[in-house]
Amino acid sequence: MTVSRRALIAGLGSSALLACKKKAIGGRQVARLWFCYGGNNRVVLLDLVNKFNELQSKAFVEPVFQGDYFESLAKLRTAIAAGVPPTFSHVLGEVIPYLSTAGVLEPLDDYPGARNLDFVKALAQHGAFENGDKHAMVALPFNRSTPIMYTRKDMMDEYRLRAPQTWDELLSAAKRLYRSKQDGLRWGFEVPIDWWFWLAMVGQAGGRVIEPSGRITLGGDAGVKALKFWQSLVHEHKVMRPPPGRDFNAWDAANTDFLAGRAGITWTSTAYLRYIEKNAKFPVVTCPLPGDVKRSVPTGGTFFVMLKDVPQAEKVAAWSFLKWMCEPEQTIEWATRTGYLPVTNTAINRLRESGYYDKHPNDWVAYEQLEHADPWPWSTTLFRIERDIVNPQLEDAILTNRSAVDTLREAREEAEEPS
Amino acid sequence: MMRPRKWSDPGWMLAPTTILLIVFFIAPIGIAVYQSFFSWDLLTPPKAVGGANYLAIFKSGELLRVTGRTLFFSAMVVTGAMSIGLALALLLNRRGLWFSFVRSAVFSAYVVSWVAVALLWLWILDPDRGIVAKGLHVAGVSSVKLLNHPDTVLPVLAGVTVWKITGYAMIMFLTGLQAIPNEVIEAARLDGAGAWSRFRFIIWPMLRPTGTFVGTTSLVISFQAFDVVRVMTQGGPARASTLFVYAIYESIFMNLRVGTASALTVAFFVVLLSLSWLQIRAWRQKA
Repeated sequence: MTVSRRALIAGLGSSALLACKKKAIGGRQVARLWFCYGGNNRVVLLDLVNKFNELQSKAFVEPVFQGDYFESLAKLRTAIAAGVPPTFSHVLGEVIPYLSTAGVLEPLDDYPGARNLDFVKALAQHGAFENGDKHAMVALPFNRSTPIMYTRKDMMDEYRLRAPQTWDELLSAAKRLYRSKQDGLRWGFEVPIDWWFWLAMVGQAGGRVIEPSGRITLGGDAGVKALKFWQSLVHEHKVMRPPPGRDFNAWDAANTDFLAGRAGITWTSTAYLRYIEKNAKFPVVTCPLPGDVKRSVPTGGTFFVMLKDVPQAEKVAAWSFLKWMCEPEQTIEWATRTGYLPVTNTAINRLRESGYYDKHPNDWVAYEQLEHADPWPWSTTLFRIERDIVNPQLEDAILTNRSAVDTLREAREEAEEPS
Repeated sequence: MMRPRKWSDPGWMLAPTTILLIVFFIAPIGIAVYQSFFSWDLLTPPKAVGGANYLAIFKSGELLRVTGRTLFFSAMVVTGAMSIGLALALLLNRRGLWFSFVRSAVFSAYVVSWVAVALLWLWILDPDRGIVAKGLHVAGVSSVKLLNHPDTVLPVLAGVTVWKITGYAMIMFLTGLQAIPNEVIEAARLDGAGAWSRFRFIIWPMLRPTGTFVGTTSLVISFQAFDVVRVMTQGGPARASTLFVYAIYESIFMNLRVGTASALTVAFFVVLLSLSWLQIRAWRQKA
């Protein structure tokens, strides 16, 4: 088969036209948004994107699903390196210092209205990171969350238990709620083996993963104490099972066990609030995480970021969407339909005034817990420590009950290696 | 001996293969060797670190652990695929519709994609939602260590790989068996050789070239294992199923550690080269 020169030119021409169409649909500037949601969160996000696209005629946001947080991040970094990044995306908070330092994120301070955005401090860049305000604003809070404790009201009443306030109380509650195999197995407590929850316990035990000097300590004695407590729940007291699976598979397994009555208490993200409430056949009560020497929770979830290396017109279109998303109506819709925290003070005040929190006290617990939120260190190695070093080591230590001291010493040594 | 009409003819004829070899094999290995001396995350400028990446993967034990795991996995896969493939070939080397059907059924797993096979077995072996877990739950067994324990995950993945490639081994052995002249076996039988003696002294020695071929291909397949790991365990639990190719993938794509990934790639190349050399040497000695 031969292809004539004319057909070839026609083909190339139509491809070029298609490429142009991507940049402008019906005279509207296209901005590509890479997102990482499935299920209900995806539905809510796409609803909001469609609403934005219908409401105005200048910008057109084209959402593209990219897998879970980690897959999406891998693709984003590869796309940046290859010189074909999307206009904007949302990324895990832990990776922002690294991306910002690498100079691939667009500073947003000078975009119209950026300085007046009324974010909840603990959830925004300036409060979610130590010295976050000393860096250019490169990230806008989007789906933000904290770990929270989920309990069953019926079970807590039956066993006359109150929400555990300390680790000791958590252990005794888990012991009371545990039911042996003969009586229909039920674990007293279940939490995914993930650094987010370990980090909460490190903070509660009075430690920090990275010292202000930049030295990586992984919590020192507090890190060991947190890991030992976890190991004791699994191996010594046998009241907790480590949910199987890696990354979010383990989170799903923990949720499933809680919903199926196979776990009395669970810790998971506030992001699952709507999902758990909707699917539970029992009354769900959320409580703040217990404390050890103090109360502490890390914040989690993602921030919107805009990529530097994209045409200015795309950035302007993306900004119009981001600003619109930060308006109270959208913030409220996103938060109330998903369970993520509302990211602006105005949205929270409106919800409070409308009586929303009286009807949904679980949501209020999530917000109130922000009082104990500890900021992340602004460290470029934060994500690598989480993903490459701590998470696999924690899994190993919990499953095989190996020495917590050795585990964290090895993790510290690994963190000091070249990347 | 044929002589080319022009001195340049062999060069032109070899050019396509040579170009492909250079572009897809030699150049990437060269680039990997070069990059293994840098610390680089693709986004910030690379920093020359000398042999620090090699030292790090060696000192941290990562290289030893990944190599050990992969060799253990390969040993299980090669032994399993060869022995089961040979046993099936001996059992099914008969005429008849039923035997044809069983041969086709066993071989069919080989033509299914790796991802489909992994998903199928995940459906069976998932620690929570799998058929096995549910069946055991009904039977009163609360949990069974399969994919969710560091001690059992690798044998389970090896089992899945053996299931997938045994059909191929069986077909290869069947071909080898059918190439053995009947007269030789009949003569042995007339001389009073029993089934075991016939296998040991006639069939197996004549099947040895086929065995070497099946062994080599199974070794290569097991060293390239990726899809089953990616779909079924993502290298876990606690890195217990992080085989060589998955470790390289995770280093570069999930953690953007180009230097470490390159050092691992070079080490992988050296390990494979050594194994192939040993295998070829053993084969030549026997030949």
